[in-house]
This record gives sequence, C-alpha cells and structure tokens, in this order.
Amino acid sequence: MDKNTEIAKREDRNLEKTRELYEVAPAVDIYENDDEILLYADMPGVVKEEVSVNIDNGRLSLSGVRKLETGGAASWEEFGNVEFVRNFSVPQTIDVEKVKAELKSGVLALHMPKSEAAKPRQIEIKTA
Amino acid sequence: MFTRFSDIDRLFGTMDLLRQRLDNMSTDYNRPYRSSWLMEDGFLRANLYQSGDAFEMRLEVPGMDKDALDIKIQGNYLEISGKREQDVPDGYKVHKTERLNGTFSRSFTLPDDVDSARVEAKLKDGVLYLTLPKSEAAKPRQITIS
Repeated sequence: MDKNTEIAKREDRNLEKTRELYEVAPAVDIYENDDEILLYADMPGVVKEEVSVNIDNGRLSLSGVRKLETGGAASWEEFGNVEFVRNFSVPQTIDVEKVKAELKSGVLALHMPKSEAAKPRQIEIKTA
Repeated sequence: MFTRFSDIDRLFGTMDLLRQRLDNMSTDYNRPYRSSWLMEDGFLRANLYQSGDAFEMRLEVPGMDKDALDIKIQGNYLEISGKREQDVPDGYKVHKTERLNGTFSRSFTLPDDVDSARVEAKLKDGVLYLTLPKSEAAKPRQITIS
C-alpha cells in the first residue's frame, strides 16, 4: 500500500482550505481636481491581466494578484506572491462609464471622472 | 502511525491561517500593512535565488524607470541605489500620500564572486530582475574519478 496516495486522499477530503494567498493593502496616493479623482497604487510585480477594479454603489475595490517567477533555490525572500487588496468609499458622483485604469511599471493609475452634474460651475453675474 | 502525519500538517496549516487572519486585521481597517516597497529601515525588498552557476535576484522597484536605478558590482559586492520621484500631477488637491519617495541604497555581500561582465538586469512590471553569473572560480566543477 502506497502511503503517499493515502495522504493525498485525506488532503482532498479536508473541508477547510488552509492555503490562502497573503493579502496586503497597497500604498496609495489620492488626488482630486475639478474634473476627476486620481488614485495611484503601488503594486510591484502585478501584471495587467491580474488586476481587477470594481466600482459598485459607492464602493471601490482594488485587487491585484502577484505571481512571481522564481528560479533556483531561495537564499532569502523578502517578498512573495501576495494579493494586493484595498477598498474605498467613493462619491456617487463618479461617472463609472468613463473610469480609466492604467498599469505602468507596477503602479496602478486610476482616473475617476466626476459626472457633469457634480462639477463646480462658475456662475456669471449679470448686470441688470 | 506515519499516515497520521497529514493531520499534523493540517494542524500547522490551521495555525498559519489563524496567524494570517490576525495579520490581515490591519488590512481590514484599511491601513497598509507591510506593503511598502521600502522596508522600515529604508531598504528595498529583495529575493535571492541560487542555481549552480548563477544567482537570480528580484527587487521591488515600483514606478521606477531604468534611469532612476544604479547597479554596481565588484567581486561579490553588489550595490543598488536609486531615487523615486513622485509624479505629482499639476493642479490637483492632495488627499492621501502613502507612497514613499526619495533615495535609497542597499548593498549585498553575495555568497560567491560574480562575473560582472555578464550580469544582466531587466525591469518588468515594477520588479528588477538580476541575473548574476558566478565567476569561473566560484562555479561548481565536475570531478571525474580516475
């Protein structure tokens, strides 16, 4: 009787999943001007395909999974595969249709334009 | 007796899960936890892998281009320094700035000498990949028994 197969079978039967990807919150910068809210998040090692940005009912969720290619035996490791996760509350005035996200050298840039109605308007005073 | 080993393995797995949940508590309160590309003492995060005739190194360098990085090698001494400048957009109000800026430098003493002429460096998705071939003298050699 092969003991290895026995162990593998027990593992399958376990209900709880014990290996999860480590979650960290990425450091972010948030800027705002009259037209949009701009968010930068540091996600080194994350590729475009592994990023998801969700805006739903005033809640913005960012997620990016880092899968690093490793080579050889590790002498030391200070960073590994993680999932970058962070949630924000965003104003309802964000024009969800026009949200743009770019990923460049491990930095996610998220442009969230405000809807026309929410933009500040200069009121011209007419002389009577 | 030894088939029960998987149960012990599972026990440790559960302990890992508990520790991870506790670590993630700060993430749940939306504070960044251990996510900065610079460690507390201003070091870059680095991984070192070793194969028979080369070292492989990975460093976290988010948002930096190749001109911002400086790599020096001499023998088994490796020094990586650089600077990150924030692209603060014009005319924006600042709400939050957590991403660190500034200069950094980290030096390593590698376990063996490196052939500095054949070192390759590649920058991809905010991670610096270094391939450092060991020098001829440090390479493993096959010994034939006469």
